Amino acid sequence: MQLNGEHVLKAPRKVVWDMLMDPDQLVKITPGISELNKIDKTNYEAISEIKIGPVKGRFTGAVELKDMIEPEQFTMVVSQNSKIGNVKANVDIHLDKVGNGQTRLTFDGKAQMSGLLARTGSRVVSGVANSLTKQFFDSFEKEIELMNS
Amino acid sequence: MSFIGKSIKRVEDKRFITGKGKYTDDIKLVGMTHAHMVRSPYAHARVTKIDTQAAKDHEGVVAVFVGSDIEGIAGVPTGWQVNFKNGDTMKEPPHPLLIRDNVRHVGDAIAVVIAETKEIARDAADLVEVEYDVLDAVSDPKEAVKEGAPQVHPDAPNNICFDWALGNPVEDVDAALASAHHVTSLDFVNNRVVPNAMEPRSAIGHYDETRDHYTLYTSTQNPHLIRLLLCAFVLGIPEHKVRIVSHDVGGGFGSKIFHYTEEALMVWVSKQIKRPVKWTSDRSEAFMTDAHGRDHVTSAQMGFDENGKIVALKADTYANLGAYLATFAPAVPTYLHGTLLQGLYTTPLINVNVTAVFTNTNSVDAYRGAGRPEATYLLERLIDLGSLEMGMDPAEVRRLNFIPAFDGVNQPGYQTQVALQYDSGDYKPVLERALQMVGYEDFRAEQAKSSSNGKLLGIGFSTYIEACGIAPSAVVGALGARAGLFESAQVRVQPTGKVSVYTGSHSHGQGHETTFVQVVADKLGIPMEDVDLVHGDSDAVAFGMGTYGSRSLAVGGSAIVKSIDKILEKGAKIAAHKLEASVDDLEYAEGKWTVKGTDKSIAFGDVSLTAYVPHDYPEGLEPGLDFSSFYDPANFTYPFGCHIAIVEVDKETGKVKLKRFIAVDDVGNVINPMIVDGQIHGGLAQGIGQALHEGTIYDESGQLINGSYMDYTMPRADDLPSFEIDRTVTPCPHNPLGVKGAGEAGCIGSTPAVVNAVIDALWKGGHQVKDIRMPLTSERVWEAMNN
Repeated sequence: MQLNGEHVLKAPRKVVWDMLMDPDQLVKITPGISELNKIDKTNYEAISEIKIGPVKGRFTGAVELKDMIEPEQFTMVVSQNSKIGNVKANVDIHLDKVGNGQTRLTFDGKAQMSGLLARTGSRVVSGVANSLTKQFFDSFEKEIELMNS
Repeated sequence: MSFIGKSIKRVEDKRFITGKGKYTDDIKLVGMTHAHMVRSPYAHARVTKIDTQAAKDHEGVVAVFVGSDIEGIAGVPTGWQVNFKNGDTMKEPPHPLLIRDNVRHVGDAIAVVIAETKEIARDAADLVEVEYDVLDAVSDPKEAVKEGAPQVHPDAPNNICFDWALGNPVEDVDAALASAHHVTSLDFVNNRVVPNAMEPRSAIGHYDETRDHYTLYTSTQNPHLIRLLLCAFVLGIPEHKVRIVSHDVGGGFGSKIFHYTEEALMVWVSKQIKRPVKWTSDRSEAFMTDAHGRDHVTSAQMGFDENGKIVALKADTYANLGAYLATFAPAVPTYLHGTLLQGLYTTPLINVNVTAVFTNTNSVDAYRGAGRPEATYLLERLIDLGSLEMGMDPAEVRRLNFIPAFDGVNQPGYQTQVALQYDSGDYKPVLERALQMVGYEDFRAEQAKSSSNGKLLGIGFSTYIEACGIAPSAVVGALGARAGLFESAQVRVQPTGKVSVYTGSHSHGQGHETTFVQVVADKLGIPMEDVDLVHGDSDAVAFGMGTYGSRSLAVGGSAIVKSIDKILEKGAKIAAHKLEASVDDLEYAEGKWTVKGTDKSIAFGDVSLTAYVPHDYPEGLEPGLDFSSFYDPANFTYPFGCHIAIVEVDKETGKVKLKRFIAVDDVGNVINPMIVDGQIHGGLAQGIGQALHEGTIYDESGQLINGSYMDYTMPRADDLPSFEIDRTVTPCPHNPLGVKGAGEAGCIGSTPAVVNAVIDALWKGGHQVKDIRMPLTSERVWEAMNN
């Protein structure tokens, strides 16, 4: 499954970058994530619970950040396992300065699912991904507003 | 009393429609445990670690077994050997009960958890930790043979199981195509379908230590075949120590022919834990592991002369067999497909080439029609497309090419270019009757006007033939079958004249308990209530090769007739003795022997009583009235027919509406017309389903991405018109009932008729489209019109 899109956030690039590197912030803004433990600068351990169509799973696994060029870009490698199947995703994230101290976040990647998740969730999964993405950016904006206020 | 030819209501339906059928999962044995399989979520991976400790520690778990626990147990075998063109033996990699190294398709079994309840087994299975090293996978057969493709089995280079060819020399066929007036070429995919029997598979293993005896209850189409494979090839147990029971089975469509790993595993596990153990598939497992059907990728060319007569046919097919060979897998794309490419036509030159390929997908094997639908699809798509390309009427092109009528008695059978000899056939009448039912001329006039209202009308033809009554043992033996394909029947007349019939033809929806009883009651002249049919138990039935290939009545029914003949022959000796007459002076009718020209007679029940109370009895004659017979057919049978589909395609959306479906089939003599109609209806629904709705999708990583009813479309009643069906009768000349078989006809003829109708509609709307890949969803049809 292709994962791509973009969103303009009302904060400078450095602020966005720092928020993306802060596990506590990420837990707040990422839907489904219940724990995100930083192992070192680029490796995290994540626990999440996500409902995809008729199947619901508790996912555990690693999140790795690669090819980091602060504060412009990084690649996120997600490998999550659950009893309903596993997910592997590779997403490139770019942060571009746009006018008025705003930042455009562009993401582009691919996710691959297996098992029951692939068998019964495929048809609805892109819809779920879109809705999770929207929730992510909505929460992101709220956090920025809180910081600004 | 005459029963043959009457639409008698099915006696078995009383228990089915009142919910009182007895299926394998209904069986509860004392002390029975429950199994749940741990299956691979990956299509191709090396298993690096399996940790079962947490599962074993879970309360209520009896045992957990993995592949290394069953070292020394062979895998399940295939029943057919087809060799490479150069004579090399086909590649036959093992299909272990539990994998020991690599998983090769999604759903491949890694471990089995045995527990006190089904729920505990399922929960504990989640605790089995498996680590994988995920490998690249391949699911498309043409991709799989390319250099550098992922290798499913190390000992099958380029994933090729075998290559195979049949027919006339390829250079002769090429020369005829090169000089043909017109050549129609078509590259197409015969989509993979999931059989979707209503009852999921189920198996109970029960080892009785006191007798050192095993019972396997299983939802199979052929109990004795399972016993043979289980005993001789997998577990090495002598047959007299094994009983296979298959009570009611809720549909098979081929998918319950094969010997599955779970069957052998339950038998083995039961011995280890010394308790009965049951496994029942859930629907998700059924999607992953019930053998799938079709999945051919084909390029074919048909050459015509200037009048529309076919001069040559060439076909090259890649057949996807999945990761492991199921029981009939090698036979389906070869001897059940290539041999049918003569169709109903006089084509003088035919060459077919088949490459059988392993991929990281579930096994592919026989599915209602088994190879013959693929052959029919190939031929009928080409002949309809050729007619469109040449601007000729597809009905007329068929008339021109039909093999002339032959009855197999006064005229010999028809020798095809592809090994088979047809038994009897008269092909024009099915076409003419179907055209009459359609109102062909009126339809063409209506079609010409239709485009103006936003809809495109199309008509599609399919005049098919199938080889049924499987099969003469010597013939299939020469073709690589590892078993004979005869059938057995025992007719046991009880002292009171009531009759128990034991058949090896298992019934799982075909209505044998009615049809077979009609035959017996008719031949013996006794009420149907006096006859019971016993099937599905290897301890009760002497032997059997099972139910598939529309063989039950033609082969199993013929065995019953042979036994009835023996009953009547012996009965006549007893009757002659009692009537103090010569056997030659007796005639048998209406359930009694009568001395010709007199009113002296003796009833069937009096003769049977005499046979068991032989006080006044012919000298030297054995008591009893009980005969077994084995019937090995002299030839296949060759049902045929004409199917016509009329569709309406929405020009704006591409939506296809099947408006009418006309089927005129010739299945030889008919015992119960209502049951035959039902078989045709069911087959049509499945064939139309393949054309318009069904299609199994494996993505490039080998994931089955439509493995549930959320995503896999089945045909529903409101997708189908009320079928218009009729029959002609050309009796089979070589079996005693003159029957040819009706179980698969609907599924064989219908698929190309529907696709041809959509293609015809598009051509009439100005879109000269050669092919749309099945299933013909609105999206695909719209794309075809707008590209």
